[in-house]
Amino acid sequence: MPARPRAPRSPRTKALRRHAALYLGLVPFLLIAVFPVFWMAVTAVKQESDLYRMDVVPFWFHLPPTWKNFDLLFHRTSYRDWIVNTAAISFWVSLITLLTAVPAGYALARLRLPFAENLGIGIFLTYLVPAIILFIPLARVVSTLDLQDRWWSLVVVYPTFTIPFCTWLLMGFFKTVPFEIEEAAMVDGCGQVGALLRVVLPVSLPGVITAVIFSFTLSMQDFLYSLAFVSISEQKPVPLGVATELIRGDVFFWGSLMAGALLVGVPVAILYNLFLDKFITGITGAALK
Amino acid sequence: MAEVPGAPTPGTCPVAVGERVGVRFRWRAPAARRCLLGYALLAPAVLYVGALVGVPFLFSLYLAMSDATVGDPVAGFVGLENFRAALESTTFHVALRNTVVFTVGAGVLKGLLGTTLAFLLVQPFVGRRVVRALVVIPFTLPIAISVLGWKWMFDSQFSVLNWALSRVGLIGGYGSPDWPVWLGQPSLALASVMFVNVWRGFPFTAIVLMAGLTSVPTEIIDSARVDGASFLQRFRKIIVPMIAPILFIGAAFDTVFTLSDLSIVYLLTNGGPDGATEILPTLAYNTGIRAGALGRGAAISLFLFPLLLPAMVLLLRTLRRRQY
Repeated sequence: MPARPRAPRSPRTKALRRHAALYLGLVPFLLIAVFPVFWMAVTAVKQESDLYRMDVVPFWFHLPPTWKNFDLLFHRTSYRDWIVNTAAISFWVSLITLLTAVPAGYALARLRLPFAENLGIGIFLTYLVPAIILFIPLARVVSTLDLQDRWWSLVVVYPTFTIPFCTWLLMGFFKTVPFEIEEAAMVDGCGQVGALLRVVLPVSLPGVITAVIFSFTLSMQDFLYSLAFVSISEQKPVPLGVATELIRGDVFFWGSLMAGALLVGVPVAILYNLFLDKFITGITGAALK
Repeated sequence: MAEVPGAPTPGTCPVAVGERVGVRFRWRAPAARRCLLGYALLAPAVLYVGALVGVPFLFSLYLAMSDATVGDPVAGFVGLENFRAALESTTFHVALRNTVVFTVGAGVLKGLLGTTLAFLLVQPFVGRRVVRALVVIPFTLPIAISVLGWKWMFDSQFSVLNWALSRVGLIGGYGSPDWPVWLGQPSLALASVMFVNVWRGFPFTAIVLMAGLTSVPTEIIDSARVDGASFLQRFRKIIVPMIAPILFIGAAFDTVFTLSDLSIVYLLTNGGPDGATEILPTLAYNTGIRAGALGRGAAISLFLFPLLLPAMVLLLRTLRRRQY
């Protein structure tokens, strides 16, 4: 029997091999990225006595899973307050950011102002002035406004990083809207402001939504400001509340800690994940052009 | 919405003959009015940021040169005393050294891991989107929240990491001398907080690089291959020069994020054991807010500025390149 060439099999085998090699390289990264979240999730629904056993494989349940940790979270801590605070903070921060960043981004992108580019860069640079330099003087601002220990202080402070970032983001967005639709609106009798409100803004809705998402996700990344300005339990946002109120001296409520952390962390991570490319383009766009 | 070329619109200035149709209406309003509108639209954002970033920044310079405390709002001018006191204290030296070790060490690791991951992820393969979405989780989780997970994993007695290490025989059981107490032993503690920073940051480096790698035109690489360039040559002569600027951008942003973050150290060790993980942000927080010495704290946090400056200058220069 004549030896058949092995060639016909090879594209498939080659692809399989390539995939195997790639996955082999990716598995350590996946493991290290995902394991902590998996471990937090398992911890959140484990019974207390199941947590502290080193004689059995800890990755799974040896006692039935329980909602007790969530129960403690909702009934014996101010978790519900923290969620309400976080929602309220996000709402107001988003509103302030939109009211300031939309007009600013529009003006920088569209109105051919002298120095527009430098002004834009200047505003974006303030995004890079870190909280760690600003939090001490801002503590004075917060106490002058009589907002210390209230979540309102965070509404005042968070726009210091959401406005620069979103202005920059929206500036890029408005640049992509064709001038023609605006001009057409003006032909139809709109003024410049009318054209912005009635034509440009609706077309830019995805950009505006992106700005709202980032007002929320960037606010959720803060820890320092809330730690420095809010110390009353009922006024805390979720990340600070979970991190500070579920540790009493040497006692850690690990189950509830993980439950409270993931309950808010996972939705934020998913949202951020969906908009991550926009974040990366936002901050690196300049270098990639 | 028919646009009739040349049709006069009420209230417009006459349009110069021969001007491109697309440009015409942008110049409808006189330049002065357009500018006025522009600056009016800019004003809220500029004023907000000016009042709550610009003014506080200047105020922190003033605070750093005063003896202000939380309890005593009337501050006296003390010149550079706070800076001198900081430079003379051992705690500050340790914090400064740790900050540099932390930032540089973690930065190099993030660069290496992120680059490797980026090169894996730009390959086409089945399930790439899912893998990418999973692998960026550390960066997208709110930082305080993921640090809590790590605190549990680094638990002195019930650490799941120790369980695994002990099971495969790398360490003994609980209580044996080689049982690592991640956050309790000075050198391990610094390594642990750096590790969490790397864990959070490497996906960021990877996706920034991916954005850069996909912008390297494949034709250039292909034609180099046709011309007989080896993989190493292609890597050194084409890929590295093209991605280096993007790697710098990623590293610069990451440095800013790392230098300004206190939550990892604050929540895991709060600077301990015995100052082994104290970094400038935690020292500034503990001095300025906890101990109430606003002036001292402001001075310490300002020492971060020279460390941040190279990153900011680099970013400023690349942002300027956008001018066209």
